[in-house]
Amino acid sequence: MTVNEKITLATATRPPSPERAERAADRGAERGGERGDDDKRGGRGFGRKKVCRFCADRDLVVDFKDQATLKYFVTERGKIIPRRISGNCALHQRDVAKAIKRARGVALLPYQAVVG
Amino acid sequence: MAETQSKVRLREYETLFLVRQELTDEQVDKLRERARGIVDREGGKLLRFVTTGKKKTSFPIVKSNRAIYVHAHYLGDNKLVAELERNLRNIDEVTRYLTLKLADEVDPETRPVLEDVKVAGDEEMRPAGEGEARQESSERAPRQDSTERSAPAPEAKA
Repeated sequence: MTVNEKITLATATRPPSPERAERAADRGAERGGERGDDDKRGGRGFGRKKVCRFCADRDLVVDFKDQATLKYFVTERGKIIPRRISGNCALHQRDVAKAIKRARGVALLPYQAVVG
Repeated sequence: MAETQSKVRLREYETLFLVRQELTDEQVDKLRERARGIVDREGGKLLRFVTTGKKKTSFPIVKSNRAIYVHAHYLGDNKLVAELERNLRNIDEVTRYLTLKLADEVDPETRPVLEDVKVAGDEEMRPAGEGEARQESSERAPRQDSTERSAPAPEAKA
């Protein structure tokens, strides 16, 4: 048995940790499959090559007061959607995250939303 | 260089503060005038106030799910901001405030003073009985609910 086979066998017999299960669900969401978690809003139906909404439209500015735009970058529970799902570029994802945190401070967005 | 030194350069700020929903329009106007006085006193230039009616907050603030949002856009220096925030902190009716710097080195003459704007708040949360509040709102966001409510009213009067 080679080293790789031994490692594969060891990992296969170990029960999956909760973090790994969540990451697997995320990967399913990224591919647009049915394994995607419903909480990760926008996971379904988003292509892999998603364009940054703010780069595409130069007039669109990240503003913490603009709840209508920011709510698309937040899950139902109020969590910030990661860049690999929202499709933002790094610069705008940082701006969006900062704007969401400011909006939370003035109660335009929730820190933790109740689902259902 | 002498020309730029003689010109006053101010920073551009915006302050958003939340006011308790129990306040009337007159009381909110008084608060606005107080803020305007502070800006003028400290050598700033107030550009615009945007007042939103009662808006639903994402979580209860001071045990209330609605608040009035007032947004001030002005030019000034850091002392003005400190003075304004100190006053807002002392006023009991102001529950939250947030100040952001938008730009440095702004020439006050290039920024015109705009009219104060009043935006309607969330009317979906209001019960049907509060007809006065709906009449007060001058500007409305385009919504199907508001058009449906306004349509039968003239027919009833006729």
